Amino acid sequence: MTHDWWKHLLLILGVIVVIAPFYMMVSYSFKSPGEIDRGEGGFFGRQEMMVDERCVVRRDPSRAEITAAAPRFPGQNDRGIRDALVAEAETDCSMRPVVFNYTMAFTEAPLLRYLMNGIIVTASIFLIQVVVALPAAYALAKLKFWGRDAVFALVLFCLLIPVHAIALPLYILLAKLGLTNTYAALVVPWTISVFGIFLMRQFFMTVPDDLIDAARMDGMSEFAIVWRVMLPTAIPALLAFAIFSIVAHWNDYFWPRIVVTGNRDLFTPPLGLREFKGGGDGSFFGPMMATATVIVTPLIVAFMLAQRRFIEGITLSGMK
Amino acid sequence: MAGLSITNINKRFGETEVLKGVSLDIADGEFVSLVGPSGCGKSTLLRIIAGLEEQTSGDVQIGGTSVAGQRAADRNLSMVFQSYALYPHLSVGENIAVPLKMRRMNTLQRLPLLGGVIPGKAQRAAEIAKEVAHAAEILEIAHLLDRKPGQLSGGQRQRVALGRALVRDPAAFLLDEPLSNLDAKLRVQTRAEIAQLHRQLKATFVYVTHDQVEAMTMSDRIAVMMGGRILQCAAPETVYDDPDRIEVAEFIGSPKINLLPVELSETGQVHLLGQPLSLTTGRRTKGVGSLGLRPEALFLTDRNAPLRGQIVHAENLGSEMFVQVEVNGLGSRITFRTTPDKRASLAQGATVGLDFDADKALVFDAIGARVRDIHSTTTSKTEVA
Repeated sequence: MTHDWWKHLLLILGVIVVIAPFYMMVSYSFKSPGEIDRGEGGFFGRQEMMVDERCVVRRDPSRAEITAAAPRFPGQNDRGIRDALVAEAETDCSMRPVVFNYTMAFTEAPLLRYLMNGIIVTASIFLIQVVVALPAAYALAKLKFWGRDAVFALVLFCLLIPVHAIALPLYILLAKLGLTNTYAALVVPWTISVFGIFLMRQFFMTVPDDLIDAARMDGMSEFAIVWRVMLPTAIPALLAFAIFSIVAHWNDYFWPRIVVTGNRDLFTPPLGLREFKGGGDGSFFGPMMATATVIVTPLIVAFMLAQRRFIEGITLSGMK
Repeated sequence: MAGLSITNINKRFGETEVLKGVSLDIADGEFVSLVGPSGCGKSTLLRIIAGLEEQTSGDVQIGGTSVAGQRAADRNLSMVFQSYALYPHLSVGENIAVPLKMRRMNTLQRLPLLGGVIPGKAQRAAEIAKEVAHAAEILEIAHLLDRKPGQLSGGQRQRVALGRALVRDPAAFLLDEPLSNLDAKLRVQTRAEIAQLHRQLKATFVYVTHDQVEAMTMSDRIAVMMGGRILQCAAPETVYDDPDRIEVAEFIGSPKINLLPVELSETGQVHLLGQPLSLTTGRRTKGVGSLGLRPEALFLTDRNAPLRGQIVHAENLGSEMFVQVEVNGLGSRITFRTTPDKRASLAQGATVGLDFDADKALVFDAIGARVRDIHSTTTSKTEVA
């Protein structure tokens, strides 16, 4: 196997290319702004106490506060009281960079709300996609009807249409229906997945006809066959499709950016990243990367949980 | 339980005519085998009875009522498939319960979680569990009820498939080559068990197979199908001893029947290799035909043997022995049966003389139809024997 070393080298290089952005993301989410700017501190940063300037500015004492605080600092003039209050604020606003970044991520923008929106949207899309794709794929794979091949050709044709080509007509349609800035606008355009229909159809082709005939003899209707026989046998294929669908829609920035204008209550997680984009008061790479890390974590956890099912799968070994 | 009646069924797939006017009546409680080579339409006929395929024309009646246009689910028939077709995600018990659940529970009661709170569900589930246990007991698979089909051997899957068929007391059982995925030993055992099951249930069985041994050993009647037609439907003994057509004679019986080319003269005399045989037929027309001789109809003889040849191959099965002889002047081999104690005289290459029982000789005309009323014009041969 020693002559295979170059294959491993190639794979390792590939892994580095893929992992590097993730490494940067997680690393930045730990570091202070200074460390990020100067590119120092290794993976975790030095985690020295840092002062959140914006927090200090927010707590800049007003005239009334200085007057109110006067009894706490007897014998000092206004200037002295003000300095003492600022020093107090600086102590309160100093924290480790990692805490700062993640606190910012959750406080600066309603990230939990965005995550909830993300779950609502991706789950609705996936569920409706399955509800549409499974019966369609079953019909295309196992039922004989006039025009079946033409319909399947149309499905293949639709696979070739890029999303961006039809984005504008779709937007206009939704706008005319008054659906922009609703969950429906985020969900409806994706509910019919030709890819899902195609993938499930290819899988259903491999299911023996005898199994379907047996289900018919056992008294199942065609719909019952789809949900009680085809769905359980198709779990591995469905998981593969779930990964494609959920990753694509969870991470989608393009479409939500188009149909959600202004109403922050409908923002999906990737839109939340915009909160930290460099504005007049400089960039916030730390919190931005912390947000990004929070956003991708559910996907990675979900994938790891599904991975085992993937490998086990329900094989069709009971058939032969 | 009910009888089946099939009337003049035609089936086309596009241009191909698969069934050409098939009619068959199956009595209540009868075991009928549809047997024939692959592509003869036997499976298609079974699927039409089941309602999985629709006939182009003709009628199927179950228990005297036409089932035309009825879905498979509504015909109250059970079917066992060659591939068993068990639901891979359900345990053995759940597999067997499916036909009962689909028929006795309503849609709400069948729902995975919500079903539990629908009134009547618990009682029905208990009934079903009892019947599943009973079916499992008949088939001796009670210990397997919790396993998944993937964890079972071929023979066990076969039993589960049978269990799923018999759990709900159908009008008839349809079996589509249920033994062909089993190994030879298990096949012989399961064959006997299915025959036993038929006697026990007294149900109507329609059994499709390409294996004539299965058909011979289990059936009340055999329907031999070829080219989309039923050539003959009769009891196994009749099909074997008294076939209507040369194709039937060829298909049934192992080793295969020996067919020798003969000439029929105007007098009804049968000539083999230019020599008159001690056989005459009632048919007084000149022509060619075939003489069919089963291996057991032939016997060794020394004098006046109508057939002489060299032994080319011998198979000793222990209880009996089949010997292949290259017949002089014929250019083909014939097989005869004898007992192994004669093997000393049956060395490879030895020349032997063969004669046959005139009563067991089958004569077919040029188009393969059976020529009956054969008379043996006994000569010296009986004296020899």
